This record gives sequence, structure tokens and C-alpha cells, in this order.
Amino acid sequence: MAEAKEKKLQKKSGVHMFDVVLYIVFIIICLIVIIPMWKVVVDSFNALGVYQFRFWPENPTFNGYLTIFNTHKLYRPFMNSVITTIIGTFIGLALATLGGYVLNQYDMPGRNIFSMFLMITMVFTGGMIPEYLVMKQLGLVNSMWILVVKHGINVYNLVLMKNFFEGIPASLIEAAKIDGCSPMGIFFKIVLPLSKAALASIGLMFAVTIWNDYSTVQIYIQDPDQVNFQYMLRVMIMDGDTPTSPYKNVSQETLYYAAIVCAILPFMAAYPFLQKYFVKGVNVGAVKE
Amino acid sequence: MSRKQDKLAQQVLGDRKLNKKSLGARMWNCRGYYLMFLPVFIFVLIIYYWPMLGIRYAFFSYKLRDIHWVGFENFKTLFSTSEFWRAFVNTLQLSITKLLLNTFAAVLVSVFINEMANLLMKKTVQTVIYLPHFMSYAVVAAIFTLFLSPSSTGFVNETLKSWGLIDRSIDFLHNKGMWRPIFYLINMWKETGWGTVIFLATLSGINPELYEAADIDGATRLQKVRYITFPALGNTIIVVLILNLAKVLNMFEPVFVLYNSRVYEVSDVISTYIYRKTFLTAIPDYGYSTAVGLFKSVVGATLMLLCNEASKKVRGRGIM
Amino acid sequence: MKKKLVSAVIAASMVAGLLAGCGSTGADTAAPAAGDAGATKESAAASGDAAAASGDFQLDNVNIIVDGTLTATVDSGQAEFVQQWEAAVSEKLGHPITLNITQLDHSDYSGTVSRTLTTGAPGEEGYPDALIMSATMLRQYQTTGLLWNLSDAYDNAEFQSRIIYPEVNQNLKTADGAQYGFSPTYGNGCVTYLKQSWLDKEGKTVDDIKTFNDYYELLKKYSDGKTYGVIAAGYGKLDEAPFINYMPEWWQGAYPSFYEKDGTWVDGFTEQATIDALARLHQGYVDGIIDPDTEEAGTKQAREKFFSNDQSTSEFAFTYWAGQWLRNLTDNMSKNEVDDDLGDKRLVQLPPVQEIKDTWGGYLNREAPVWVITDDGDGDNTREQAIFDALFDTMLDGDKVQTLWTYGAEDVHWSVKAETFTTNADDPDKKKDYEYADGEFHLKQSPNDPDTIWKKNHLDPVLVIAPLTNGYTDNDPLVQEGNKFFLANCVDAPAAASSETLTANNEDLTTEKTTLMNKAVVGEITPEEAVQTYIDDFGDISATIIEELNAQSAAQ
Repeated sequence: MAEAKEKKLQKKSGVHMFDVVLYIVFIIICLIVIIPMWKVVVDSFNALGVYQFRFWPENPTFNGYLTIFNTHKLYRPFMNSVITTIIGTFIGLALATLGGYVLNQYDMPGRNIFSMFLMITMVFTGGMIPEYLVMKQLGLVNSMWILVVKHGINVYNLVLMKNFFEGIPASLIEAAKIDGCSPMGIFFKIVLPLSKAALASIGLMFAVTIWNDYSTVQIYIQDPDQVNFQYMLRVMIMDGDTPTSPYKNVSQETLYYAAIVCAILPFMAAYPFLQKYFVKGVNVGAVKE
Repeated sequence: MSRKQDKLAQQVLGDRKLNKKSLGARMWNCRGYYLMFLPVFIFVLIIYYWPMLGIRYAFFSYKLRDIHWVGFENFKTLFSTSEFWRAFVNTLQLSITKLLLNTFAAVLVSVFINEMANLLMKKTVQTVIYLPHFMSYAVVAAIFTLFLSPSSTGFVNETLKSWGLIDRSIDFLHNKGMWRPIFYLINMWKETGWGTVIFLATLSGINPELYEAADIDGATRLQKVRYITFPALGNTIIVVLILNLAKVLNMFEPVFVLYNSRVYEVSDVISTYIYRKTFLTAIPDYGYSTAVGLFKSVVGATLMLLCNEASKKVRGRGIM
Repeated sequence: MKKKLVSAVIAASMVAGLLAGCGSTGADTAAPAAGDAGATKESAAASGDAAAASGDFQLDNVNIIVDGTLTATVDSGQAEFVQQWEAAVSEKLGHPITLNITQLDHSDYSGTVSRTLTTGAPGEEGYPDALIMSATMLRQYQTTGLLWNLSDAYDNAEFQSRIIYPEVNQNLKTADGAQYGFSPTYGNGCVTYLKQSWLDKEGKTVDDIKTFNDYYELLKKYSDGKTYGVIAAGYGKLDEAPFINYMPEWWQGAYPSFYEKDGTWVDGFTEQATIDALARLHQGYVDGIIDPDTEEAGTKQAREKFFSNDQSTSEFAFTYWAGQWLRNLTDNMSKNEVDDDLGDKRLVQLPPVQEIKDTWGGYLNREAPVWVITDDGDGDNTREQAIFDALFDTMLDGDKVQTLWTYGAEDVHWSVKAETFTTNADDPDKKKDYEYADGEFHLKQSPNDPDTIWKKNHLDPVLVIAPLTNGYTDNDPLVQEGNKFFLANCVDAPAAASSETLTANNEDLTTEKTTLMNKAVVGEITPEEAVQTYIDDFGDISATIIEELNAQSAAQ
């Protein structure tokens, strides 16, 4: 591989310099991104709350992680986050695809009204107390399901979905129509199977939003059994309110760095499987003429 | 191109139907679509429209359970409060600069990635730079606050000191002159990578024949970047800017997690102002904060309409 | 194959989505119905009140909102506490009663309370019958009509005869004699703790520190850019009375808020004393004595850093709550293995330096937090009186229920049964055996941490206004020493001001003052400029507030 590269470089003279610069730039960019994260990971294994940059934990311990998974106060929110994120993403995708698909029916009477109906919500909101009162009516105050309901509908993602659907060749759909397929049939048999890339990337957007939300929790939820992990993380970091660890030698820093890692780990894990879709995904729809 | 033709065909088709069938019949034909839209409709109605009834409180005084009509009093207070205008100006400055810088950085990095011939390197870089996007603002802020801390626990200050570049710790996040640059940098750190996704998609769509033709003409690599790659991105850049411009007034979290009272002058934005008035006030006047929110919405709606028009001009259709 | 599976799953999700959609149509139509149900519940509650008017009101349920001062949290045996409370109080009242506790985070306590009180109504689910408020919150809420005037109930309470600190609740009365809050304890305050090991390093003892200058010079010795002399939660905590209690040596006589001086109210922030204090803090900041983290730190962050297991970035002095916290801080240092060789002598309490001795700048005894009862506004006191009887009257019964509030649940937090247990069993250096005979009152191991001994629940046995009569006392010598030290050295904080304009502008004033203070401390502006800016921006409002306050005093 390297040899082939070398040959290529030799063949095109004058390109050499450019590539060197590129490599240097790339390495710098990667370092800038990685160093802060590396420090977080290293410190999550550090028994001592140290502040200097280390390449490797000095006195490695898993106690930070053990604390998180053995403390009900942290473990329960973690599971809440997992549950709400999965279900919320599911509902979010369902509504975004349905809405996006319908909005694409330019010959449907009332399409513009629907479009207006959705667009208004992107700008006008009722304010906090009215929202609170509605959620209370729905019985969602003090319940983690508020995360699912509140983020289940996202007009912005719906628009992205619609844009993606526009990229599906109309001829395919016309053909199906001629074959006597119903709108729903077309949706399930043609549109969805062709939209895996968009489903993956927009699904990820939903997941990120729901997983990372703490302000909703702060406003609506007081029951410690109903809060999510991001909220606990915030409480720990911003208010310094770390739960008592049953383990020895867990400094506050160790614990909350470990918590930060737990908060980003699910995405790190899911990410390699989804990455291939991104480029093809949502943005193709957004840019397509 | 073909898309436009399709649309044209659809329109013609639609027109023909129009001639043939009544509105009711056409609606009956679309009943399947209406049924599919129903769940969306219900969700939007409950989550967005029901609370919108509360906009009326902009004309009330609403403290605890005491609600009474005050007319335009809230708006009078609002427009005469210098703190509000400061927040308004800051919102525009911060959010537009942030948008431009992030877009610029993303374009630049995308071009670099596009030029990279080594596939493994390309993949690695892409994977790495997307990562920060998945961290919440709370986490990002926590990391950088620790990094930039002026006490002996701050990584950046201690490093600079050990290199002999500074004698005394710099209080980065509390310094009026430095807060904004740092704010922009942190946001670039977090979002540049994710921003490249859209540009890389465009770049992957450039016809390779263009490059081959340039090769035949003896163009250097830089020339190719200059005359083929960048122009190809032009349209995408405009679209990204337009789509995001409509949302500039909404900026909350990025600022909220990083600002503090000493830098309010350069950092306080409308959403954080509303937040303080609603949450950090012992007995808040919800009428007043609704009024601020309503003002924000009206300006936002105007921006949105403008962007929609711009979008129609640039790419032949609105945002939606 | 895979493709098919994926689309099948998604298709299924869509169907589910559609069904869910229909489901939510149902829910939508059901929602108003639920609203109606709520309404009927309300009317039921109302009819309950009506019934109350006719005399047979029975309180079956008490909802309370508490902050972190109820240390029996969900993780630490709250269920048992509630269960034993219900049993004891049901017995007293002669009918069953349940207690629902909502415990909130400290960080947004007042915000959550205001939202709850705004969006609910008495009788609704989640609306508190009684809750805890800080002295400042009480001043803000007492004019809103949401709180019940418990003055008569308090005067006729069963515990009246046992009260030893009557002035605590006396001070809560408003100008016209109404009392909206009930305080079961004396206030408590902060003292300055020094690390003995650091003193030893310099060959000094605490008695060598007589003046602020002695203190300052000593702090300076420990400030090398890595370690610092002192840390606190803010240079001054201007949003919470008594504002200066975390750095008393630096503020000295200054009181950066409204207070009554020789019979007239003044705005302390505009006084020369404040300018001097800001200059002092600025000097300390410039000399690297005050940890710069002080500006943003919360109380928990500050104290965690003080007893951190990394002492190379820690501080020498820390001013924090007296009594119980001497024990807590020591235990935390022990947990982090800081100065283990010194045992309970790790921390030493600094007697007030000469400049602040016996003045307001000294160790302030703050106004205690209070309990309040919500008023349902029906003009009838039956419900409210019932809440008072069930909750407050029993809280100071001197016996069973008071013990619950003081020490927690029997056989969970404390016990009188014979038992032996060991803390830190795996660590030979810290291992400690406890042995108790039958009938001997003792605290047990903490439910969430078997290596430490449980301390107390909501009420402090030393500060309570009507002491326990069953003789249960916690004999921790360190806590007793701490309390003794504080009582010997404390000064009562000035009563918090309360006026209409102040309540309306309180947050703006606080923000402005905090910003100016921070700027002055780090040297962005001079102390004089800080005070001048304040006068320019808020002089008029400040004058109005003083006017209102003086008018109040005159009326009294």
C-alpha cells in the first residue's frame, strides 16, 4: 500500500509537498480533537484527581466505573437514558418519515396548509409555564416519558427526511402507483427500504438529542428514579454533587470523568456501524437540487 | 435536473386531475396520506399548539397564581431595558459569527479530506472529527472549563506557565476580551467535524471527468482545488447558511454552559436572558418572559420568511 | 436477507407508529376527560374542605417538599423514616396518615418551588401542604397570600412549654404580628477551619493567629501557585443571607446588603466598609492567596477541593458550617487518606481574628430556614391547622417523632439495642470497633456507607428550639466541640430585609453586585468604581427600598 502510494507520488511531481502539508494538517486536527478526550478517558481511570495531562493513568483503577454501576442513583438514570433514547428515536423516526413522506405529495390538497402548520412551530412557542401546564395535563410531569413525547416530534428532522425522500426517483413511485399500490404500500415497500441511510443518520440525530437532554429533566422531573443520566452528569459536574462512593480511592474527578465516558460511550459504540450511511444520508437530501 | 422534470410532470399530472375531479374527490383519493399524517398532526397539535395558547400571557402579569391583564406593559418594560437590547445584539453577533466560522472551518476541512488520497487516513480523520458532536454541551463545557481554569488545576495555564510563556494564570472564561474567541473555538472544536458531512457529500458528487479534463490541461493540484472543488461547494455553502440563519435567535445551550456574570456584556443572549428571568428569579413574572419569547418569535419568523425567500431564489424551492 | 429484515422491522415500527398515532387520538380525547377527572378531584377536595368547615375534616395525607437538609434521603433509609413517622403520627392523631416527601436538589430549589406553587393548587397531586424555605424565600413569599399565617397555631402549640430559644420564631413575625414560617432550630453558621498538618509545617499553632495580618501572612506562606491559602464558594455569596459568612476575615465589618443600623436602614453595599473589603479581597487574589476557583465554585466543589485526595492543589483554610461539619470534613479527609496520623485533630478551628471578634463580620449565626404551610385560601383554617398539628407539633414532641426528625429511623439510623460493628474493616489503620450495651442509645453505620457512622437527620439536636426529652444524645466529642466553639464565638446575623421593591428587584441587585464584586476582586475595576457603578445603576431603586424599609420600621 505504502509502496503504491510512493509510486504515485513519484509519478506526479510537485504533488509531494502538498501531501506532506496535508498529512501534517490532518495530524494536528486529530490531535486537537483527541487530546481533550484522551485526558477525559485517562482521568476516568486515575485514582487521584490530577489535573495535568497524562498519556496513561498513573494508578489505574476501575472504581469510578464500578461506582457508577453499583450506585442506584447513577445506574438507574443510565438505564432511563437508554430506554427513553431507544423508544424516543423509534417514535421520532416514525413521525418524521410519515410526515416527510406526506409533505412530499405535492398534488395532495392541503399540502401547503400542512407545511405551514409545521413551519409555524419552528418559530412560535408558548413559553415555559404553558408548556408545563400541558405536560401536567398529560401526566408527564415527573415522568421520564416526557423525553420521548417532547422529542418524538421534531419538525426540523421531518424536513430533512422530506428532503431525502425527494431524492427517490419519482419514476419508481409512479411505477408502483400504476401497479395499484396504495400510498401506504408505496411508503413501506419502496420509500422506506430506499431510505436506510437517512433513517440511520436522522435516527442518530434523534438519539443524540434525547440522550443529551438535561434541561427538560431539570424543569420537569424531581423524582430521582425518573431523571436521566445526562442530568445526573450535569448535577455532578456543575454542582459538584457526586454521590458517595462505596469504593475507596475514588476522587470526585475520577467519578465524573468516568461518568462522562459512560455518557459518550454508547455513541462511540454505535458509531462505526452507522458511519457509512452519513455521507449518503440526510445531507444528500438537504443539498439535492 | 431530472428532478425538475419530474416535478413538471407531476404538475401537469396534477393539473389534469384538477380539471377532471372535484376537490372532495381529490381529497378522498389522498385519504391514505391524511391517515398517515394524522399521528404527526396530533403530536404537533399537543406538543406545540396547545402550549401556544399561553402566548396570551405576554399581555398579562403572571406571578405565582396572580394573573392579571396589563396590556402592552411587558413590551414597554422590555424595550426600555438595556439588558435586553444587549442580549439581542449579542445573540446576532455570536450566533452569526459562530455560523460563519463553523461553516468556513467545515468547508476547509472537507476540502482537505477530499484531497487526501490515503483512504485509511481519510476514514480515520473522519471518524475522529465527528466524535465531539456526540458530546453534550454540558460535557464539552465541563471539559474546557477544567482545562482553562486559572487555578493550579488548569491544564492550559499550567502548561503555558511551564513553557515560560506566561507568569500568571489567565482567567480565560472570565475575561471579556477572550471569552468570545474561546467560545468560537470551542464551538468549532465541537461542530466542525459534523459540519463536514454535508460538504463531503457534495464533493463526492463532483463529476470526476472535470478533474480528468483539468489534468489533461496540466492544472496543478492547487489549481484544481481553486477552480473545481471550491466552486462546486458554493451552492451548498449558501444552502447551509440559509437553513441555519433562520435559527440564529434560538442559541441557548452553547452560551449557557460557558458564560458567567463577569462576561454578560459580551455573552448574554436572548435565550439566556429569558432563562434567568424565568428560572433564576425567586418569584418570576412569567408574563414578562413570555413577552420576551414572543418578541424573539416574531423576529425569528421574519428571519425565517426572508430565508425562505432566499432559499426559493437560490435553489428554486423554500425551506420546506 | 438482512435488508428484508431491516425493512420488516421498520415497517412494523411504522404500523406501531400509526397505531400509536391512533392511540394518541384516543389519548387526546381522553385528555380532557382526565382534566375533568382532575376537576372532579378538585371539587372533591373542595367538598372535603366544605366538610372541614362543618368540623369533621380529617387529614389523611401530607405532601411536603424538602431540600437536602433531610439527610435521610432515598438512598439512606427515607422509606423507613416515612414508615416510622406514619406509624407514630397515626397513633398520636388516632387515624391513619401518610407522608409524601418530595426532595429537591439544592441547585434549583427556589425555582422548582416557585414552578410547583404556580402551576398547582392545594388539594392537587404534587402540591405541597408544607415545605422548607430559606429565610430569604420566606420574606419573598409571605406577602403573596400563598402561605398560611401560623401565628396562632404556633402560640398554642403543644411544644410551647419546652421552648428554650423563643426568639428564633419571634424574629419571624411580620410588622403586623403575622407569622408565616416556623423554625424548629436555631440558625447555625460558619467557622474557619485550618489544616493542622500545614500549621505544623510552619511550626505554628492556631493561637499564633491573632489579627487579620497574622492570618494573611500565614496564608501567604502556603500560596505558591499550586496550593492556596483559602477557598470558598464565592468571594461573597451575595444571593444568600448572610452573604459574607464564607470569608468573614476578608469582609470584616462590611455587610453588602440592606441592614438596620442604629434604627435606620442602610444599603451596606455603598458603604466604605464594602470598598475596604473588596480591596482586601483584591489584594488576596493578586497575592495568589485566594484560590481563583473560588469565583465559580459551589459549596460542594469548594469543600471537595479542600479535602481532596490530591493535597498538592488544595488549600490551607476553609470557612464552613460549624458543629456537625467539623465531623463531616474530618471524615472526608479520612476517607481520602489526608493526614491520617492526626486522627480527629486534622482540623483546627480558628478563633475569630481580632478585627472581627464580636462584630457582624465575625462568625455569623444566620437566620434559620423555616417550614411553611400552604394556604388554600378558603378562609377556613381547619386544613392548615390539621397540617400544623400532624407535622410541626409532632416534630418537636420531645420524644418519638422528634427523634425521627433528629436522628432518623430506629434500627436503621440509630438503635438502643445491644450490638457491635466495625467500620473500615479492611483497613488496619482506620479500623474501628463499636460496642453498645442494651438500652444504650447510639448511631449506627450510615445506610449508604458502612464505613462511616450516621450523623443526624433534619434537626440538629444542639440547635433545636425545644430539646429532646428522652435523653437520646449523640456523644460525638468532635461535634460537641464544634458546637461549643461556635456558640462561644458567634454573633447573630442582621435580620433579612423585606420590601416590595426589594422582592421585585432582588435578582437584578444580586447579579449586579456579584458581577461588580468579582470584577473588583480580580482587578478589572477598582472597589470604588464597583460601588460607584452600583450607585449609578441601582441608586434610585436602593433609595426606594430604604424608604420602604424605614417606613416599615416606623410603623412597627
